[in-house]
Amino acid sequence: MKGIIRMVEHDFRNFFRYKWWLVGLISMNLADLFVSALVYNTILKPTVSSAIGSYFNFFAPGLAVTGLFASAFMIGREINMERRREVHHYLLSLPMTRMELAIGRVLSGGLRGMMYMSPLLLTCFIFLGFPNILQLLLILAVLFLLAIGISGLSISIAVSTSSLEKFITARGAVYYVLFFCSTVFYPLTVIQSAGAALATLAEINPLSGASDMIRSILLPKIPSSFSYLSIIYIIAFSAIFTFTAAFAYMKILERK
Amino acid sequence: MIERDIRLFFQYKFLIIMRAIWFVSQVLLFGVIAANMVNVPDYFKYYVGGLSVMALYSTAIFIGFDIYEEAEHGVFEYLLSLPVSRRQLVIGRSIGGGLRAFIYVGPLVAISLFVIGAVNPLNFAIALLALFLFSFGVSGMSIAIAVLIKSSDRFDIFMGVLDAFIVRLSTTMYPLRQLQSTSQLYGFAASLNPLSYSADLFRWGTGVESIIAPQNPLLPFLGVVIFFGLFTLLGVAIYERMIEGGGWR
Repeated sequence: MKGIIRMVEHDFRNFFRYKWWLVGLISMNLADLFVSALVYNTILKPTVSSAIGSYFNFFAPGLAVTGLFASAFMIGREINMERRREVHHYLLSLPMTRMELAIGRVLSGGLRGMMYMSPLLLTCFIFLGFPNILQLLLILAVLFLLAIGISGLSISIAVSTSSLEKFITARGAVYYVLFFCSTVFYPLTVIQSAGAALATLAEINPLSGASDMIRSILLPKIPSSFSYLSIIYIIAFSAIFTFTAAFAYMKILERK
Repeated sequence: MIERDIRLFFQYKFLIIMRAIWFVSQVLLFGVIAANMVNVPDYFKYYVGGLSVMALYSTAIFIGFDIYEEAEHGVFEYLLSLPVSRRQLVIGRSIGGGLRAFIYVGPLVAISLFVIGAVNPLNFAIALLALFLFSFGVSGMSIAIAVLIKSSDRFDIFMGVLDAFIVRLSTTMYPLRQLQSTSQLYGFAASLNPLSYSADLFRWGTGVESIIAPQNPLLPFLGVVIFFGLFTLLGVAIYERMIEGGGWR
């Protein structure tokens, strides 16, 4: 356990080295909310508008999930770089087990995502209203599971790509498919009208589940596509990628 | 210099693949789905037209990163030792940066034309010329900012923040009327934004003019020409000044 805490501490310190990068990311997220979302608010179709109300309110929970994804994914970039620079020799010399090392990396990636996402979630609460304590705990628990899954996904990609360019390309492909085929930007009814395959992908997408869950809590009057099945999808996503990442990471450390 | 910069760019094959994935997913996923959400006629065509200009902008910016790479790896001294004058070196870089972006975006523009359909040859030729000038201007702007900032990290962040606002406060994603009705400030920023001029001209050239209806296409064209003139000259002047005596370090 001590080893896991040490790894989390190490990764958090690294995270703060990217403070200016984070400033760039936050500006992009805020521009999405305070410019794009406000403009889309004025051009919604009447049917969509009557279904979701304000696009700004609809998008705010999606933005928190967007921020969570981008920051939790950063751990993969670091691991990919460590792999290329052979930092793993040093990591293997540390007084901790391989499993502690691997779990620590997955956990820290998720926790960093949660930390970055907090101000975005707070912005969302400020505009949409605050949940009660139980609802808040539920939101945080589901987002944490999602963050761990994203961190695991990122590490799995990082250890299976040999260069930063390949990692960035794979990240881009995963990012665009997961985001654009989800209810982060648009309601499920709109996706359904664009195609059944896209709608199915959006329904099982963990990003949709997390966004819709926050909406169903903060915007109870608006019909939501959230179902408890979405939480099962998030748990499955998190479990699959946490274990895949941990084992792939251990394998890659021991191979060289 | 132009040839060298174009060759250099095509070595970044993963960057090229990445931008292509971005473009295709924006068109096939976001464009298709968002068109079902908004009440703008022909929004899909409108969005695809804007996307081509966004792609051109983000590719032309890349020349700034090359300048840092060269400074870091000592290639700059080699460039200075070549039998070309300083001015040729600097102008070549600016043109090379814009041209390679244009070559790269060419197939994406072709996809856009395929999606949009109708083309008026004369309008399209004018729009294409405007896009050329726009990409040279962006390239000059990137060179000027890169040389002035002198830190690749700060440049990366600055361009990220600039990109966040310059794209969203333009007519690449939504019509000017909607930006103005959201906020007078947004409308004002968009009406002075070179991305808006290029996107509107491209749509005008490809026949998606019913939505944007520029009463006088000469105005956005003039805007692009001013942007090109200002930033190409500025980029060249700053770069030329900084390369003497190791000022680029």
